[in-house]
Amino acid sequence: MSTNLIGARLRALREDKGISQDDLARLFGFKDRQTVSAIETGERRVSAEELLIAVEKLGASFEYFTDPFLLAGEGAFSWRQTGVSPQGLSAFERSAGRWIAAFRVIAPQVGHDLPLLRKSLGLTRQHTFEDAMGAGERFAAEFALGDVPAVRLADAMERKLGILVLVVDALKGVSGAACRLPELDAVLVNRKEIAGRRHFDLAHELFHVLTWDAMPPEHSEDASEIGKGRMEQLANNFASAILMPKPVVDRFGDWSKLSGAALAAQLNKAADALQVTASALKWRLVALDRVALKDAKAIADATLRNNGHAAVEGDLPPLFSRPFMEVIASALREGHLSLRRAADLLDLKIDDLAELFVIYGLEAPVDL
Amino acid sequence: MTRHRGPVLVDTNAILECWRTKSWGALSGGYAVQTVDECVMETQTGYQRRRPEQQIDERELRGRLSAVHSVSPLELASATLRDGTLSRLDVGERTLWAHAITRKDAWVLCGPDIASLRLGVRLGLQNQLVALEALLNDVGHRPKIALKVAYTIAGHKTTLATLITSEGRA
Repeated sequence: MSTNLIGARLRALREDKGISQDDLARLFGFKDRQTVSAIETGERRVSAEELLIAVEKLGASFEYFTDPFLLAGEGAFSWRQTGVSPQGLSAFERSAGRWIAAFRVIAPQVGHDLPLLRKSLGLTRQHTFEDAMGAGERFAAEFALGDVPAVRLADAMERKLGILVLVVDALKGVSGAACRLPELDAVLVNRKEIAGRRHFDLAHELFHVLTWDAMPPEHSEDASEIGKGRMEQLANNFASAILMPKPVVDRFGDWSKLSGAALAAQLNKAADALQVTASALKWRLVALDRVALKDAKAIADATLRNNGHAAVEGDLPPLFSRPFMEVIASALREGHLSLRRAADLLDLKIDDLAELFVIYGLEAPVDL
Repeated sequence: MTRHRGPVLVDTNAILECWRTKSWGALSGGYAVQTVDECVMETQTGYQRRRPEQQIDERELRGRLSAVHSVSPLELASATLRDGTLSRLDVGERTLWAHAITRKDAWVLCGPDIASLRLGVRLGLQNQLVALEALLNDVGHRPKIALKVAYTIAGHKTTLATLITSEGRA
């Protein structure tokens, strides 16, 4: 193997199972634990026979030890979901882990360096919601997200922060996730959510990525724009401010003069323009004292559902993301990944993969 | 070119292209064409990763192959340890390679994917990589349906030259 993949995976599995190096040495029939240590650190290669012993005795698959497109004993996810079973989430996490792991391995090979440095927000649980909103406002301004921040946010995350953003077909009930690896941060959003929710999820997960060390998020949290725990509320305030900074919401006139049906109509119109949900906009305006709490509460939820539209229509955004697909296309062109392997990895037919490259305007050798 | 007399190892892509261009009879009639179980399976409906899929009769396919090899876990493990980039290939492609490198006879391998070709170059086996068009030419077959570029002599030559340079094997 080109790197010490097997040794690292062996160590991760041994530690996960609570097995000592001495125990493992006995399992392999080695004289002492130094041999196990040497394998784990990459000083000694395993033989094919030893690899098969590891598969058999440790109850892991052959792929566990050899497939670089797996997250094994590494990486932490934080999911936003509603009503998804732990088993379902676990299975989907494995798929998501494969995409992220593949990007991590392939990107540097095709000239797409992973970020050298990791940025973070100086926020902790002790900070106020106003602090979180202030950080969101500053983020929108400093990263020049413009008049419709939702449109530019993913690009800013990818290009300026080196965060991998993946738009995916997630399980029903999964809104999105943040994932942290030693070398890379990733955010997943479910493309089947309405646009306003997707953008909110993206900004919410960005908060987790930028505050991971100070406030490690739960593995799974309830997806709601009105979060329950303090950290989720901080994340929601941050997300609201990024997507709806003061100068942007003030472009829509004097909100304080509106109430009732007129307020609801303006909320729906502005939310459409900003590509957020009218409900999120309403609470953002309350937080900014642009709308009185009593006026906000007087608006029935149904009035703002789907920003006042009868039904939500519209094309799904393309899968994954342009930077991700650029890396895949380069890997195919340069022969670092076979087309059939790529199709399997992304769970697409080769023809669908080819169409995806066309959508992103990328050339790739898909005509096999 | 003189017709190759030894075994011709083909992967799923090559079999599907033969079928699409109605060249399977010419290829399998002209050579001792061999593959592995995994590639046969991948030619079947539901495993082709194509849309639409071709209908390939497994019995007919196996009937024209001179051998279909089973690869043992030990062979796959040995191949993976020899070059970890084997894991960049799909199951059929990597299993075919795991089989190929155990052979001592004069085989050639027809697998058009650039990643498969790269692995061949990395293993120093570039002289055993062959384009489908070259094989068909040598048995006097000119498909009426044009081969895709990756299967042509020109496409193969260009890709191989790039890979040989990239891997420092020039």
